[in-house]
Amino acid sequence: MVNAFGKRVRLFRPRTIWIRRIVQWFFFLLIALIAINHTLAESGAAIPILSSASLHAVCPFGGVETLYTLASSGLLIKKIHASALVLAGLSLLLAIFFGPVFCGWICPLGTVQEWVGKLGRKFFRRRYNHFVPTKLDNVLRYARYGILIWVLYVTATSGTLIFEAYDPYFALFNFWSGEVAPTALLILGATLALSVFVERPWCKYACPYGAVLGLTNLFRVFSIKRAVSTCKADGACSIMCPMNIPVDNKIIVRDHQCISCLECTSEAICPVARTVVFTSGGLK
Amino acid sequence: MTLTSKSLAFILFIIMFGGIAVSAALGWWQTESTKVPASFTEGEYAGQANPADIRGSYTFGDISNSFDVTPEVLAQAFQVARDDPASFAVKDLESLYLDSGYEIGTNSVRLFVAFYAGLPFDTTGQEIYLPRPAADILLDHTTLTPEQVTYLQTYAVEVTPVSSPDVESAPIQSAESTSETESAQPAPEATTSSTEGYIVKGKTTFGEMVGWGVPQDVIEQLIRAPMPDPAITVKDYATANGLDFETLKPQLQAAVDKAKK
Repeated sequence: MVNAFGKRVRLFRPRTIWIRRIVQWFFFLLIALIAINHTLAESGAAIPILSSASLHAVCPFGGVETLYTLASSGLLIKKIHASALVLAGLSLLLAIFFGPVFCGWICPLGTVQEWVGKLGRKFFRRRYNHFVPTKLDNVLRYARYGILIWVLYVTATSGTLIFEAYDPYFALFNFWSGEVAPTALLILGATLALSVFVERPWCKYACPYGAVLGLTNLFRVFSIKRAVSTCKADGACSIMCPMNIPVDNKIIVRDHQCISCLECTSEAICPVARTVVFTSGGLK
Repeated sequence: MTLTSKSLAFILFIIMFGGIAVSAALGWWQTESTKVPASFTEGEYAGQANPADIRGSYTFGDISNSFDVTPEVLAQAFQVARDDPASFAVKDLESLYLDSGYEIGTNSVRLFVAFYAGLPFDTTGQEIYLPRPAADILLDHTTLTPEQVTYLQTYAVEVTPVSSPDVESAPIQSAESTSETESAQPAPEATTSSTEGYIVKGKTTFGEMVGWGVPQDVIEQLIRAPMPDPAITVKDYATANGLDFETLKPQLQAAVDKAKK
């Protein structure tokens, strides 16, 4: 710590939210093992201590997809189980308080995109995640709401899990099963390829579940807040943000794309202590 | 209140896994089908199992546990030839009829069970195909509304399961040779096929029997009434006029047999 501008300031030392990495690894391995065990269970060779639930049973978006059918007929759509509703409820609860932490901390598809993105960061350095022209990017960011509406409509009218045929998350953990539609594999491939240039392309432009949870950014209890009085305006927070949110222009981050990764905070990239924080209260 | 990443991680685990534990304690955490379909919650059928909730993972035995239909009837309807039909999973129907050109699967079973058990089932806007034997069972052994009969006549198709031993020998019309358009129309020869001969069934019309050579006066004598509209099915006529179809059917069949000799 040094004195600067009459305030105690922590020296710049880029860090990351290491515990988020651990949590991401944990959920990636958990879902991968469950998906593998599900395959093993079909041949009677399941690992006993591990759940052999289907991927649909542990995906909260299934809970959103089945809501209309549940409300109109009291039934869950084919392949969806009650556990998906529970997970959807818990993820929404988390989001109301802390924003879309499911996206930033739990979702294995987001994690894989981040892993691939590390390659892009290595290749392109500061150009990484800045390839898409701003105007186009601003428009594309709303595409996921269109996809969400389409998914909910076709699911409600057909009563079946239409999105499965396009879902890269399902493809990621089932590509070996023969149950994955070629379209889903294609979308997964495109997502991973684009991740070399753009951080979390699926999350930014296409994820219907991210669209649902993203809305909680508008009213969440805990938000990313920037203390103008101590901010050095070096732009580090904005550069680090995987979702390209200009944090250094905001006092409170209410952007619908924030995933609560905390990488912009003073705990990570921001060099000044208690300047970008995750809080429910106000800042001086 | 300000949170650090460590406290957020801790809260996240508590809410996710604590929530799962609580939901499990309340019986809400179900990652697999219970093999018991949801029940109707209101109306005349409240409390009864809803055929619309039959899942692909259910076996014929599971269905039999919730509905008044035996595994043997289901096996006969869907042409499943095995010693233990109760263990046959509904989702396996799709592979059984993979080459038929028609989607015969879970929805077909839902429709069959609903019609067989006399339970509500919404077919609006849906094209649900049934193998011909399934439609015949429904027409012969259940009381259907005219709309249901029309639906069956429209969507009953001649298909042969891939594992059927008579795949090569049975000269029935193959699904591949029947276009979707043709199948969507009521089949005029719905009651006969080259394997079935001239059999009187619920959906047999009076016109068909006349076509088989049964004299009109014989028919009038059996039904004790003037000859009805030739397009009316025997079963519809019997139902509308308070006659017992099961009694009338063998009499009409005898007349047909006599005419074909």
